[in-house]
Amino acid sequence: MRQKNRSRYLGDLLIYLAIIGAALWGLRIATTAQAYNWQWYNVPQYLYKIHEGVVYPGPLLRGLITTMQISAGAMVIAAVLGLLVAVLGMSGSRVGRILARGYIEVVRNIPILVLLFLFYFVVAPIFGLGRFASGMLTLALYEAAFAAEIYRAGIEGVPRGQREAAAAVGLTRAQQMRYVVLPQSIPLILPPMTNLAINLIKHSAIVSVIAIFDLANEGRNVISETFMVFEVWFTVALVYLVITTALSFLATGLERRFARSRASARAR
Amino acid sequence: MVDAVSPDRPLAVELRGVCKWYDEFQALKDIDLQVRQGERTVVCGPSGSGKSTMIRCINRLEEHHGGEIRINGESVELYEARPHLIRQRVGMVFQQFNLFSHMTVVENCCLGPIKALKLGRAEARERAMHYLEKVRIPEQADKYPSQLSGGQQQRVAIARALCMSPQIMLFDEPTSALDPEMIQEVLEAMIALAEDGMTMICVTHEMGFARTVADSVVFMDRGEIVEQAPPSEFFTAPRSERTRAFLDKIL
Amino acid sequence: MSAGRPGQRARWRPGAVDWLLLVGLAVFAGYVYYQLRHVLVYRWDWQSVLQFFAYRDEAGEWQQNLLLAGLEATLRIAIFSAILSLVLGLVLALMRVSSRLWPRMVARTYVELVRNTPPLVFLFIFYFFISAQLFPVLGIDRVIAALAESDSALVLWLLGDPRLVENLVVGILCLSCFEAAYVSEVLRAGIESVGKDQREGALAVGLTGTQTMWHVVLPQAVRIVIPALVGQLITLVKDTSIMSIISIQELAFSAQEVAVSTDRVFEVWILVALIYFVICYALSALSRRLELRRAVGR
Ligand SMILES: Nc1ncnc2c1ncn2[C@@H]1O[C@H](COP(=O)(O)OP(=O)(O)OP(=O)(O)O)[C@@H](O)[C@H]1O
Ligand SMILES: [Mg+2]
Repeated sequence: MRQKNRSRYLGDLLIYLAIIGAALWGLRIATTAQAYNWQWYNVPQYLYKIHEGVVYPGPLLRGLITTMQISAGAMVIAAVLGLLVAVLGMSGSRVGRILARGYIEVVRNIPILVLLFLFYFVVAPIFGLGRFASGMLTLALYEAAFAAEIYRAGIEGVPRGQREAAAAVGLTRAQQMRYVVLPQSIPLILPPMTNLAINLIKHSAIVSVIAIFDLANEGRNVISETFMVFEVWFTVALVYLVITTALSFLATGLERRFARSRASARAR
Repeated sequence: MVDAVSPDRPLAVELRGVCKWYDEFQALKDIDLQVRQGERTVVCGPSGSGKSTMIRCINRLEEHHGGEIRINGESVELYEARPHLIRQRVGMVFQQFNLFSHMTVVENCCLGPIKALKLGRAEARERAMHYLEKVRIPEQADKYPSQLSGGQQQRVAIARALCMSPQIMLFDEPTSALDPEMIQEVLEAMIALAEDGMTMICVTHEMGFARTVADSVVFMDRGEIVEQAPPSEFFTAPRSERTRAFLDKIL
Repeated sequence: MSAGRPGQRARWRPGAVDWLLLVGLAVFAGYVYYQLRHVLVYRWDWQSVLQFFAYRDEAGEWQQNLLLAGLEATLRIAIFSAILSLVLGLVLALMRVSSRLWPRMVARTYVELVRNTPPLVFLFIFYFFISAQLFPVLGIDRVIAALAESDSALVLWLLGDPRLVENLVVGILCLSCFEAAYVSEVLRAGIESVGKDQREGALAVGLTGTQTMWHVVLPQAVRIVIPALVGQLITLVKDTSIMSIISIQELAFSAQEVAVSTDRVFEVWILVALIYFVICYALSALSRRLELRRAVGR
């Protein structure tokens, strides 16, 4: 029985490899039919250059640095703003709840690209924002709406009794939140927040339309110089893939760890 | 046996014509209740009769919609914006313990004193240990709630409430989530508290406790107080048909 | 306080936070107004933008203009892609829950690749692959050209402006391939949420595995995930805007053209954002209704 299973797995694995191989081969056939000139050997110089033993980042890596900068900045703002929106949305203040609800609805129902244009062409001149700031703020505002929902779910995931008990020992609403609810919601918030960071990095590629030289835009530039469409896009996609996959491993790792620490706390 | 309370003591808790609605459903109908300082009142009644709702209105975990609730003569509505000031004086113990699961036992006890009463850490801890000794689990002080049995958890919850030096204690079915062998240890802690002269309102179906400790037993049904009497009368000569039916079921 | 039903208590008294927020809002609005009026000295001119939706020609007939054409293309892309991505997504989802390893691996590879690359990058790759490589090799471009030539009313009704048919088809294909990965995840979650007892019940009355899937599992799964699918539809509508980057001539693309040619940047983007908002908000309201109905039905 065991033996049979194993040989079947092996067979399936071979079928899988054959299908992937066929797909790649098909791509090759299709492209050569159109006289596409593959030049993988030309790609590395756009990633990095070595000059007199020192490694310099090429355009693609410089773009990656910009992507990471803009994503990191946006993530921090989104995390703070999201918390603010979540807390306002659950607060006793009616104006606060309306504002939070309105903000989330507006951001969720407008495409991020349109939001970016709205920001870059309308909001930025009013507030005197630069290109980079517009891009970063758009991303931050967009993701903050999702962050707010994550916080809300995390906070509501803490049993109501915890909050009531905190109230019963005389804490104010703010103190109940700060000392009892938030600490317990962190395990519920952190893993989806990591996923949010992944989404943010993916969405950050959109800022290339307002001429910010992030990874995607540098990719477009290199292509317009060299016509290595597939090579460059595959490389760029791979770089994004590596980063997002690393982060998603982190997310599952966090999730497992929290699940385990909860389970062991119960067992003790 | 606990001493009876003289009727000229001042009122600790007073409810007059209290009503409460959940949307269209009326959970409390014209509730009148008086509890004097040092008095022990037991509240019983079938499930859904509004017992929890009533005592949660007393410490403002729920808002009431009609009538008046006074604590030590002050209307709770004076504290509309700052209900935590009431709760600092009125302790509460929940059916499900509700210990803060991310904090150790002693941290659970210290949170209120430090954050609400602004005590120093050392003083708060000293106080916590004092009350943990009182409920006889000082050795568990540095464990987490999930490492304790249900009975131990409930005793911690009592100690946590006592750490605020409340003038009144509310209990919402403190033993009904416990295995039978753990009920006694929690009841003992409550009896000790009664012997110290604490004002208590206990929702419970432990009729033995009601007989020995209570000054007064209240029977609620469908959001109303049907009957209130000293235990001697309540158990031997219930006036209402509904009370009798209820007692037949649980005794 | 005397007896008061909850209805009477509903009167709202703003608290400190309310006032703080109101003041903040007022300051914000005041600042924006001041900047627009006195610093940027912006002159609003909605008329010249509105005529890019429709204008009256010399004969007095209403003629569709760029923005309306863009909106039409957006809706076409959204509808066709929704259908196509549902089909592709279903295939992928069935592969994901297959008992054999290889379909699971193939589908998983595709889904992970799509979900872990930025939509922008995926679209660039696909756009180039489909329009520059695949179409000529498979001869689809000739089919499309033939379609565009034919002036059959059906083609016109389905695909709109013949000159832009290829543009539209590429856009639909790209978006469908992209969204299918997400749709498949939604469907898979639905399939997996149908209990084992249902499956075993079906097998016990003698259905085959495939029959069980089609007649017992899928109908239940689809009902469960309908709100989530509508949510995915909203994402799809929003994602149509990204197609403008690969020159698919939908609403966001026309908007950019109009913004450049008229220089009425504020008006154009505010209007276009409003259009997307109305469409997506209507869909989210629908999704909420469905969710509510399901909650009640249970
Ligand atoms: N948050 C709420 N929303 C709506 N109805 C509620 C809510 N809380 C309580 N109720 C209703 O109010 C009534 C009284 O509830 P309450 O919890 O006070 O009963 P109880 O006497 O404590 O019952 P038990 O012995 O089961 O704890 C019940 O019918 C209940 O359904
Ligand atoms: Mg109750």
